[in-house]
Amino acid sequence: MAADAPVDIATLVASLTDRAAATRIDAAERLCRAGAAASPAIVALVSACGDDEAEVRDWAVAALEEIGPPPAGMVHELEHLLRGGQPLVAYWAATLLGRSGQAAASAVEALTDCLTTATDSAVTQRAAWALGKIGPAAAAAVAPLRHAAAGQDPRLARLATEALAAIGG
Amino acid sequence: MPSPCDHRRSPSCGEPTGHRGTRVRAGRTHRTAGGLVAWCLALVAWPAIAQQPAGPQPKPWDAILVASFNIQVFGESKMAKAQVVEILARIVRRFDIVCIQEVRAKSDEIVPAFVRAVNADGSRYQHFIGPREGRTNSKEQYAFVFDSDRIELDPSSPTVFPDPSDRLHRPPLCARFRTRVIPVQMAFTFWLVATHTDPDEVPQELEALTDVFLGMQRARPDEDDVIMLGDLNAGPPEFKSFSRIPGIGWAIANTTTNTRRTKTYDNLVFAWPATAEYRGVSGVLDLQSTFGIPLETALEVSDHNPVWAAFHPCEVAPQGAIGPVAAQPQPLR
Repeated sequence: MAADAPVDIATLVASLTDRAAATRIDAAERLCRAGAAASPAIVALVSACGDDEAEVRDWAVAALEEIGPPPAGMVHELEHLLRGGQPLVAYWAATLLGRSGQAAASAVEALTDCLTTATDSAVTQRAAWALGKIGPAAAAAVAPLRHAAAGQDPRLARLATEALAAIGG
Repeated sequence: MPSPCDHRRSPSCGEPTGHRGTRVRAGRTHRTAGGLVAWCLALVAWPAIAQQPAGPQPKPWDAILVASFNIQVFGESKMAKAQVVEILARIVRRFDIVCIQEVRAKSDEIVPAFVRAVNADGSRYQHFIGPREGRTNSKEQYAFVFDSDRIELDPSSPTVFPDPSDRLHRPPLCARFRTRVIPVQMAFTFWLVATHTDPDEVPQELEALTDVFLGMQRARPDEDDVIMLGDLNAGPPEFKSFSRIPGIGWAIANTTTNTRRTKTYDNLVFAWPATAEYRGVSGVLDLQSTFGIPLETALEVSDHNPVWAAFHPCEVAPQGAIGPVAAQPQPLR
């Protein structure tokens, strides 16, 4: 079991879209093992959450769980992924936007759309959570958050209530 | 530390040999070792992989060793790496029971195949694996892997803690165990509560886990021992909600538990004086130093180190008196 060669993040990002599943799995695993050093690959890892191969998704999710907030400048790409439709991709895009806090203020509209139109409950819940993390800059989301806070989904209602408190709504 | 089990020891309970050896009781071969102190010293001086002796490894006669290990993305690709599996197997064999987090696999054969690898040296480990859990389609399972020569599972006990308000991403898997190294009437019985928190909702989940712990303390009147263990994604400074549990404490403090040696994420949490069986001995099995491998290689095994704590194999009453507190395993009410 030899230690890996020094990690080349750009090469691994390219490998995440390779036609060979084994190559994609290996790239996702290596990015996961890179820890915070893989943060430039966050957008690619969120995209990889939509991979057809379960092991690619598993390693991408594991990487994203531990990677922390994204570097500046990724909000627009994450917003695009949030609107993409695949639940696991949208879930992780919302998570990374939430971790960005106030820096993701430009994504409030996309997160609000997600809150009100997404059909996957984990995604709507994460959108509510992310709006709360953005804080007062998410004031435009107060009305849909109030609606969610009065809804039947106990987790969504709780997260929406917490978000309203964070926003000051 | 003298063991309160000592003066109750009988021939059927086994005499400490003070050295590694075997003894036979009721047709079963029981491995014995030096006591807990000797075991700890052996752990510190654990030689490199190639120097490991063949055959089942000795364990302390005066303690059972409970461990928690987040084996990051424990699935097909990890099981395909023979040397990783060998290290994982050697780790499990050091302990009587290991709570594994992050089994992530399409196949249901990952844990059974791993237990076969653990038992390749003649050990007799068994396992119990929980259902796939998680709010998204990326799900995980908890598993308990235990040395059936020294630990038994109450087969009626395993349950996922109810979470009707959806407060926990991966609700805890709870199971009750009993030691087998001393007579049944004296054996230490305990709940293990496996957990892996969502790193983005740690304070909220620790609050919910506090309620889980209190709920498990009430689960049955004849069981006072609850050990919550796993990847909490938090260290003791963040355990504020646990203060709602009278006498709460934890095994791991003032050290790191991740492979990069930067964070304290993993722990075993239990209450005093109820779990007076705790021997006051615990630790982190550092993958790099234990196996003499560089960080990059250790990360192939996991991004977490195993954490562990030692407990008396017999019931210890809260006041320090010795005697049976818990009854034999019974169905949950």
